[in-house]
Amino acid sequence: MLSFLNGISQSLDAYLVLASLLFAIGAFGFLARRNAISMLMSIELMLNAVNLAIIAFGAFNRELNADASAIALIVIAAAAAEATVGLAIVIAIYRNRKTPLVDEYDAMRR
Amino acid sequence: MYDTLIPLIPLIPILGFAFTALFGRRLQLTYGRWAAEIVPVGGVIIVWLIALSVIVPAVGHQDPFGEAGLDVKLWTWIPAGSLSVDMGFHVDALTAALLIVVTTIGMLVHVYSIGYMAHDDGAWRFFAYLNLFMFSMLLLVLASSWLLMFAGWELVGFCSYALIGFWYHKRSAALAAKKAFIVNRVGDVGFALGIMAIFLDTGTLNIADSLAKLTAADASLTIPIAIVALLLFAGAMGKSAQFPLHVWLPDAMEGPTPVSALIHAATMVNAGVYMVARANPLFAHAQDAMVVVAAIGIFTAILAASIAFTQTDIKRVLAYSTLSQLGYMFAALGVGAYAAAIFHLMTHGFFKGLLFLDSGSVIHAVHEEQDMNRMGGLWRKIPITHWTMLVASIAIAGIPPLAGFFSKDELLGDAYKNGFAWVWFIGVVVAVMTAFYMWRLMGKTFYGESRVDPHVEPRIHESPWQMTLPLILLAIPAALLGIALSWPGPPLGPLFGMGDQPGLLTGWLDPVFAPSEEFLHGAPAAFQLGGIDGVLILISVAAAAIGLVVGIWLFGFFGAHGRHALVERLTAANRATRFLYRATLNKWWFDDLNDLLFIRIGGRVAAAMWWFDRTIVDGAVNGVGAITRDAGGGLRRIQTGRVQNYALGIAIGLIVMAGSFLVIVGQPR
Repeated sequence: MLSFLNGISQSLDAYLVLASLLFAIGAFGFLARRNAISMLMSIELMLNAVNLAIIAFGAFNRELNADASAIALIVIAAAAAEATVGLAIVIAIYRNRKTPLVDEYDAMRR
Repeated sequence: MYDTLIPLIPLIPILGFAFTALFGRRLQLTYGRWAAEIVPVGGVIIVWLIALSVIVPAVGHQDPFGEAGLDVKLWTWIPAGSLSVDMGFHVDALTAALLIVVTTIGMLVHVYSIGYMAHDDGAWRFFAYLNLFMFSMLLLVLASSWLLMFAGWELVGFCSYALIGFWYHKRSAALAAKKAFIVNRVGDVGFALGIMAIFLDTGTLNIADSLAKLTAADASLTIPIAIVALLLFAGAMGKSAQFPLHVWLPDAMEGPTPVSALIHAATMVNAGVYMVARANPLFAHAQDAMVVVAAIGIFTAILAASIAFTQTDIKRVLAYSTLSQLGYMFAALGVGAYAAAIFHLMTHGFFKGLLFLDSGSVIHAVHEEQDMNRMGGLWRKIPITHWTMLVASIAIAGIPPLAGFFSKDELLGDAYKNGFAWVWFIGVVVAVMTAFYMWRLMGKTFYGESRVDPHVEPRIHESPWQMTLPLILLAIPAALLGIALSWPGPPLGPLFGMGDQPGLLTGWLDPVFAPSEEFLHGAPAAFQLGGIDGVLILISVAAAAIGLVVGIWLFGFFGAHGRHALVERLTAANRATRFLYRATLNKWWFDDLNDLLFIRIGGRVAAAMWWFDRTIVDGAVNGVGAITRDAGGGLRRIQTGRVQNYALGIAIGLIVMAGSFLVIVGQPR
C-alpha cells in the first residue's frame, strides 16, 4: 500500500519524532530570539511541524486521509496569511522604531 | 381687595430685604445711612398700614372674613400626588391679633433702630436682616398650611441667628448665635415630626382641614393625638424657650438691643404660643398633653423668675423675665385658657418690647454699659427713658390699671376656675417675684446713688428722637392695652355696671377658641365680682403690691435710697440663703449641666463613635481597597511587555494543558 514510499521510513513514529523536533526547534526559536523576523520564521517552523504530523497521520490511517489533506491545505493557507500580516506589522513597526528587536517594542507598557 | 392686600403684607418686607441686601451697602457708602434705611423702614410702615386695614375687618368678623376667617390661595406650592400644599394665607381673628403685635412693634423697632444703629457701619445689613425677619414672621403668622408655617418658623430661626451674631467679631455673640440656632433645632425636630405625624393621620397639611380631621369623633389615627400634640409642643418649647430648651434665650441678648426687643421678647418667641393656640382643637382633645404644657409652662415661669433675682446684666434680667412670662402663656394654654394666653401675649409683646427698647436707651446713655451695678441714679438724666420704663415695669408687675394686670389676672383666674389650683398658686408666687425683680431692676438702674463710671458720668445724655418716639408710642399700649382689650368685659365691665359681657379680645377670638374651651370646660360660668373672681383679683393685686413694696424698700424709689447692705446681709445670712443665691446666680447650673451632658459626656460618646467609624468601618472599606491595590501591584509585575515572556506563558500553559490531558486520558478505565 505504501509502495510509493520506498526508501522512506515505514514507521509513523519517525514522522512524529521529526515533527516534534521541528516543533521544539520552532518553539525554542520563538522564545529565545529577540528579532521579530526570526520569531516569525520560528512560527512558520512550528506550523510546518504540525502540518507534517497531520499529513503523517493521514498517510498512515486511511480513514483520515482526505481530512488530513484538507486540514493541511487550510493550515498552509492560514500560515501564508499569518506570515503576510506578521511581516507587514513588523515592517511598519520597524519604520517607526528603527529596530527589529521586540524588547524595544514597549509603547503599551508606558 | 383683600386677596391683593394680604399677600402684600409679607411681600413688601421680602422686597425690602432684597433691595437692601443688594444695594444697601453702596447706597450707604455713597449717600449716607438714610439712603439705605429709607426703603426698609418705609416698607415696614406701609406694611403696618396695610395690616391695620386687614386687622380691623378681621377682628370684627366682617365680610369677607366672617367668623371662620379668610383663605387666600395664591397657587399650589407642592403638587405631588396625595401631598398637595398650597401657597396660601389664612387670616382670622387669631392671625389678626398676632398681626397687631408683629407689625406695630416691628415698625416701632425699625424706627428706633435708626437711632440705635446711628454709629454702626453695618446699619444696611442690620436693616436687611430686620426686613427678612419681618417677612419670615409674617409668613409664619399668615400661613394656611403647616409646611408654610414651618418655612416661616425656620426662617425666623435663621434671622434670629443672623441678628444675635450681628456683631460677629465678638466671640461671645458668635457663640450665642450658634447656641440659639442649635437649641432651636432640637425643638424643630419635634415640630417637623409633628407635621409628618399630622400628614400621616389626616393626609393633608392644611391647618384648618387637618385640625378638623384630627379631632373628628370617628377619626381613626395612625399616631395617637397626644403624641402629635407633644411633638408640636416640642417645637414650641424650642422657639418659645421653655424648660429645658430655655438656655438659648438669655444668651441671645448678645445681639443688638432692638433685636432683643423685636425678636427675643415681642414676636419670634411668641411663635410657639401662637402655634399651640392655632392648634387648640388638637390640644383640647389631648388633655394629657395639655397637663404637660401647663406643668412645663408654670415651671419655666418660676424657674426663670428665680434666676432673674440675681442677674446683674440689665438685658439678662429682662430675658429671664421674658422666659417667665412665656411660661405664664404656656400655663394658660395648658389649662385651656387660650384667649387669656393670647391676651397676655399681646400685652407682654408691648410692655416687654418697651422694656427692651428702654434698656437699649439706658445702655446707649451710659455708653454701652450693661451691668446694673455700674448704673444708678439715672432717672433725672434720661427722663423719657425712665418714665416709659417705669410704666412698663408697673405694667409687667401687674398693678391695675396698666396692661399686665388685666392679662395676668385673666390668666391666673382662668387657671383657678378651670381646676388647676396648683398652676394658679405657683402663678401667684411668680407674680410676687415678677414685681420684685422688676423693681430691683428699676432701683438698681434709675434710683439711689450713681455708680456710673466717673469718666462717662458727665456725658450721659437722653437718646435721639428716633429712639424716644417709639418709647413714648409703646408706653401708651403698655399702659392702656389691657383696659382697651378687656373692655367692656370683666373685670372693669361688671365693676362699672356694664353687666356680664365678653371683653373685646375675647369677642374677637371667640370663633377660634370657643369650641375647644366649651369642649374642655363647658359653658363659662358667670363673672362674679363679689364672689370668687373678686377674691382672685384681690389676691393677684396683693401679690404684685407685696413684690413692689419689698422691691421699693430694698432698692429705693426716686430720692429714697435702697437698703443694699440689707440685701447683701440677707443673701449671706446662712447656708441656705447662700446656696440659693449661688444657685440663681449660676442659673441653677443648667448651662453647666448641658456642658456636662452634651459637651463632655456627649463629646466622649461622639469621640468613641468617631474612633469606631475611623478604625472599624473605614478600616473595612479601606482594607478591601488596600488588598485590591496590593494584589494589583503584585500582579502587574507579570505584565513585563516582553513578547517572549508572554510566549513562555503560552508555552507553559500549553504544556500544562497537554500534560493534564495525557494524565487524565491515560488513566486506566
